[in-house]
Amino acid sequence: MSPFEVLVLLAIAAFLAGFGGSYLGIGGGVFLIPFMTIVLGVGIKIAIATSLIGVIATSSGAAAVYVRDHLTNLRLAMFLEVATTFGAIAGALVGLRLPDFFLFIVFGVVLFYAAITMARIRETAKQRAYQAGDESSLSKRLNLGSVYFDQEDQGVYRYRVERPVAGFGASAAAGLFSGLLGVGGGFIKVPAMNILMRVPMKAAVATSNFMIGVTAAASAFIYYSQGLVDPGLAAMVIIGVFSGTNLGTRAMVKAKASNVRVAFAACLAALGVAMVLRLAFPGVPL
Amino acid sequence: MTARSGLRIVQDRIAALRRAVISEVEDRNRLIFHILRGGVVVSVAVLLFGFILVVLAGQSTIPDRSIPPRALEEELFRFTSAGYLSLGVLVLIFTPVLRVAFSLLSFLEERDRLYVLMTAIVFTNLVTSLFVLA
Repeated sequence: MSPFEVLVLLAIAAFLAGFGGSYLGIGGGVFLIPFMTIVLGVGIKIAIATSLIGVIATSSGAAAVYVRDHLTNLRLAMFLEVATTFGAIAGALVGLRLPDFFLFIVFGVVLFYAAITMARIRETAKQRAYQAGDESSLSKRLNLGSVYFDQEDQGVYRYRVERPVAGFGASAAAGLFSGLLGVGGGFIKVPAMNILMRVPMKAAVATSNFMIGVTAAASAFIYYSQGLVDPGLAAMVIIGVFSGTNLGTRAMVKAKASNVRVAFAACLAALGVAMVLRLAFPGVPL
Repeated sequence: MTARSGLRIVQDRIAALRRAVISEVEDRNRLIFHILRGGVVVSVAVLLFGFILVVLAGQSTIPDRSIPPRALEEELFRFTSAGYLSLGVLVLIFTPVLRVAFSLLSFLEERDRLYVLMTAIVFTNLVTSLFVLA
């Protein structure tokens, strides 16, 4: 493949990653890393570095729109970012010593569990409206409950946030994985917020997108200073992702929450399969 | 009271609630929107300028090594494509850091001590990984 073809293909892949990432609340690194290593033949470390740049671009581009449209829960994001940044540093420092096999098993189980749960729970407007009510004393003290406006049915929904401690723990794990694998960790944060903390799907997607840029920035600078960022590849990814998020955010804001859930569940299941394949065939770079 | 006027009252209440919610947080959200969006737009603009430099210099390949922050200034003055492509990437990396710094200021302004503390922790973690680990 000529260098020119690589750049064009990468820009197209980045466009799709930006679209999907902003629609699902993830960074898109889980798509970009396998694409770069398998299809384009880019080395794994450079692929991770480039993907981290893409995650920041997805996060910043998408989060801007979601914050403006009042889908993002800023307090919840700040609370969970404490956990993700500690997790990311731990991932960069000690996580590398954990056995790969153990990580992949835990990770795969979590993915399948989240996929099944998200596909099974149906989120109706009526259900969302009932989510207002008493919250735990910690959520109340942290003032985590919020309000968002849903364009799907032109409704204003007030929701409470449950189980803040469990969500905090899950976010720390998400941070660990992003430090380790060069991804945003959105595929853990969105289910953690939606399933554990009972945050409505669209608010969870928006809040996750808001958070992943911070987590990725910490790791990205480390990769940059080690000279692993290829500016040409990174530039194509940023430009591609930026165009993708412009469309993805527009689609998500108008989408039905149940469609976002199903798309997310399908994506998690596909990731789980990829994990199992990687365990079965250790040579495949994913 | 007819059903229609009853519906009108409910609709008015919903519209009023929406306006109240929106105006309360509008200013802060607008600023965060401009920081994040502005960061990405500036980054893309600098990167496009870098690509123009590639074409103007008649280079057949695009630079594949990033410029370390220390050497960046010199490259920018010499208008090398590698310098501007690296600058564009760095602008993007620092966008979320700037956003956290802004969140810290806005929680300080609100005198929300708990969130000032949490944001300060996140900011410290970020700066630590930027400068100590790197």
